[in-house]
Amino acid sequence: MCTGRMDPALIAKAFKNGLDGLVVVGCYFGDCHYISGNYHAQAKIEVTRRLLKHIGVNEDRLAFRQCSSGEASVFVRIISEFDAGVREIGPIGQGGDRVKGPEIFRELKVAEAVLAGEKIRWVIGKRTPFLETGNMYGEIFTEHEFNRAIDMIIVEETEVQKILLKLKEGAQSVKDLASALAIPAERVFRYMTALKRKDMVAINGISGRNPLFQLAAREV
Amino acid sequence: MESNKVLIVGGGLQGIQAALGKAEAGAEVTLVEKFPSLGAERIPRDRIIKPEEAFVNPGLDRVRNHDKINVLTYSDLKKITKDNGKAQAHILKHSLRVDNAKCNDCKACIRVCPVNMFDDFNESFGFRTAVDFFNPGTGEYNIFKEDQPVCQRTCPAHLNIRTYVAQIADGKPLDSLATIRERLPLPGSIGRVCPHPCETACNRQYLDEPISICFLKRFAADAEINEGIEPVYETPEKKYSEKIAIIGAGPAGLTCAYDLAREGYEHITIFETLPVPGGYLWVGIPEYRLPKKLLKREVDLIAKMGIDIKYNTRVGKDISFEDLQKDYDAVFIGAGCHKGLKLRVPGEDEYEGKGIVDCVTFLREQALERSPEAKGKLIVIGGGNAAIDSARVGWRMGFDEVYILYRRTRKEMPANPWEIDAAEHEGVILQYLAAPVEILGKNGRVSGMKCIKMELGEPDASGRRRPVPIEGSEYVIDAETIVPAISQATNLDFLGQDHGFDITRWNTFAIDEETGVTNIPGVFAGGDVVSGPDIAIRAVAGGKRAALGIHDYLRSK
Repeated sequence: MCTGRMDPALIAKAFKNGLDGLVVVGCYFGDCHYISGNYHAQAKIEVTRRLLKHIGVNEDRLAFRQCSSGEASVFVRIISEFDAGVREIGPIGQGGDRVKGPEIFRELKVAEAVLAGEKIRWVIGKRTPFLETGNMYGEIFTEHEFNRAIDMIIVEETEVQKILLKLKEGAQSVKDLASALAIPAERVFRYMTALKRKDMVAINGISGRNPLFQLAAREV
Repeated sequence: MESNKVLIVGGGLQGIQAALGKAEAGAEVTLVEKFPSLGAERIPRDRIIKPEEAFVNPGLDRVRNHDKINVLTYSDLKKITKDNGKAQAHILKHSLRVDNAKCNDCKACIRVCPVNMFDDFNESFGFRTAVDFFNPGTGEYNIFKEDQPVCQRTCPAHLNIRTYVAQIADGKPLDSLATIRERLPLPGSIGRVCPHPCETACNRQYLDEPISICFLKRFAADAEINEGIEPVYETPEKKYSEKIAIIGAGPAGLTCAYDLAREGYEHITIFETLPVPGGYLWVGIPEYRLPKKLLKREVDLIAKMGIDIKYNTRVGKDISFEDLQKDYDAVFIGAGCHKGLKLRVPGEDEYEGKGIVDCVTFLREQALERSPEAKGKLIVIGGGNAAIDSARVGWRMGFDEVYILYRRTRKEMPANPWEIDAAEHEGVILQYLAAPVEILGKNGRVSGMKCIKMELGEPDASGRRRPVPIEGSEYVIDAETIVPAISQATNLDFLGQDHGFDITRWNTFAIDEETGVTNIPGVFAGGDVVSGPDIAIRAVAGGKRAALGIHDYLRSK
C-alpha cells in the first residue's frame, strides 16, 4: 500500500481511540512507484496536523517522514526520534495538549467528522495539482495562499461539523445550538443559511418564533 | 431617426420593463446585465419559498423570446465612444466558468466549495459560495472569480503582486523574481525607487500597516545577486525580421525593447543621447537611492537579448528623425522630460549658468561626475522628489548650507514623506511658505535671492490650499547656487520644424490610450514624453503598452 492512500479520517479515529503518536514513513520524493503518492501523503498529514493544532491536540503527535526501504539505520533513527518525542509529550489528553481529556476526545470526534467530510477531502486532494501544475486556467497557487485557505476551512468546518453532530440528536433552533456549542448565534445562523442553501439541513417546524432545523435526508 | 437602436444597462425589474416598452415601440433593444441572470430570476435557496411559488417577473419570458431584444447577461459596459453624432458602446461579454452543457445540477460543487463570500447579488446581505447557480429554470452555474487584487489593479504595470509576495513567504525568492520579470525587466531598480502606489492602496493597512511590496521586490532581486546567479533572458525561437527604433534608454524604452525582444523581434535599436543607460534612473535618481552598478547590471541583462543600444547619439542631431522613420518599420519615442522649468522671475536668465542651475542639469552633471565646485550656500526651490534629491545630493557634494524653499507647508509637499524626513535628518533646512521674487547678482554671479512670505488661501484645482503672497514681507537670503526644481517639461526639438505630430498643450504627445500610437502610423510614444513628469513604474507601463501596440501594428501590416 501507498502512504498516499492513508485516510486522514482514520488518523483522527485512531487518536480518538487513545493513540498517542503516529508517524507516517513514505518514500523519498521522486521515488514514488505511483509517481505522486508521497506528495499526497505529505499534503494529507500537513492538513491533519493543522486541524489537530486547531482543536487543541499537540500536532507533534503526528509526523510525516521519508526513508527508502533499503535504509534500515535511517528507519531506526526516525522511529527512535519520534518515539522519544511522543514519550516527552505523554499520553493523549494528560497534560501534553492544549485541551485535556475527556474533552479532547469529543474534539477528536468532530475532527474525524471534518476529515471524513466532503469539503476538506476535495481541497486536500487538490493541493498537489494546485501547487504544481495549476488549476483549469493554469493559475499556480503559492503554499502561502493555500495554507491560508486551509486554515479558514478548518475553522469553519469544525464549527459546521459540531452543528451537524448536534443536529443528529434532533431538530433544534439556532439559539439552542448557539448556547449548547458556545458559538456566537450570528455565526450559527450564517452556517445554517449556508447549510440550507446546500440542501444539508431543512426546516422542521417553528417553536415560538424560532424555526427548528433538522438534518435533511440526503439523496444518494 | 432612421436607425432606432437602444441600449439598456441593468437587467432588473425596471430594465426589463424599459426594454419591453422600447421594443414594443419598434426599437432594436440591447439589454446588458452584469450578472449571469436577469433580475428576479435567481431564487435564493435559503428563502422559505418553493420555486413554483416564487414571484418571477412576468416580463422575463417575453424579454428572452422577443425578436427585437438582444439580451447580454454577464456583460460589462466598458466604454462609450462618440462618432459622427452616433454613440458606440463597447461591451465585454464574459464567458461562464462552468461548462453548463456538462453540468447535471447535482449541487456537489456548492456543498464542497471552500470560498464563502458576500452575496453580491443580494447587495451583500447574506453569504454565498463562489460557485453558484443563477437560474433555477435553466440551471446555469457559474464560478465567481475575483478581479485583480487591489495592489495589482493600482500598479500601473499590473505586476502580479500577490503571487510574488507569497512566493517570498514560501521561501522561494528566485521564483518570485521570475514572476516579477514576467512584466518588469528592472526589478532591482524599481524595487528601490518606486513610490509604491500599491502600498498606498494595500488592504492590509486597515489592520496594521501595508505589505512592503516595493522592498520585497528589491529583496527578490538582491537574492539573485547574493547567490551569484547571472540569468539569461530567454527569447522565443520564432523570430521576426522587422526593424524597430527606440528613442531613449529610460524605463519606458528599456521595457518596450524587453517586451518586443520577448515577442521575438531581433532588430531593436535604442538611441540614447547620454553616454549612460537608464535615463532618469541614472541621471535623475541619486546614487544613494539607486546604485549605478545595479542599474548597469539590469540594463546589460536586457541588452544581452540582442538589443543594440547606441549611446551618445542624439536624434535630431546625430541622426535625423526622418531617417529613423524611413529606415525602421516602427519607432517608439520614450524621450522623457529632460528640461527643467524656469522660475520666471527677474534675473533668472541673466545668471543662467552662473549660479542658477535647473535641477535636471544639476542632478545630471552630478551623476555624470562632472559637477562644478560645491561651496557656499545652496538653495533648492520646490517641494517634489526632484527638489529633495537635489538638496540631498548637494549636501553630499559639500555645500556648506543647503536650504529647500517651498511656497506651501510640509503637508502639501508632493515629495514622499520618508524622503523629507531623511533630508531633514541629514541637515537640510526646509523653509516653508516662501517663494522667490528676484534673483540678485554681483560681479556676474548669483549672490542671493529676494523672497516673499506666503500664506495659505482657498484650495485650488489640485485640492491643496493655494499660497497667497503677503504684501510687504519681502526678504533677502544670500546664496551662491540656486537650483529651481519646480517641474520638468518635454523637449521635442529633435522632431524638427514640420513634424505633423499631434501635441497637447503640455507639449506632450497625444496618443491612443489602447496602443500608444501617435497620430502618425508606425510612431509610438510612452513614458514621461506622454504623461509629463511622472513615476518610473508608469513609464514602464507606457513602454509595455507601446510594445503591444507595435507588435499588433507590425503583425497586421
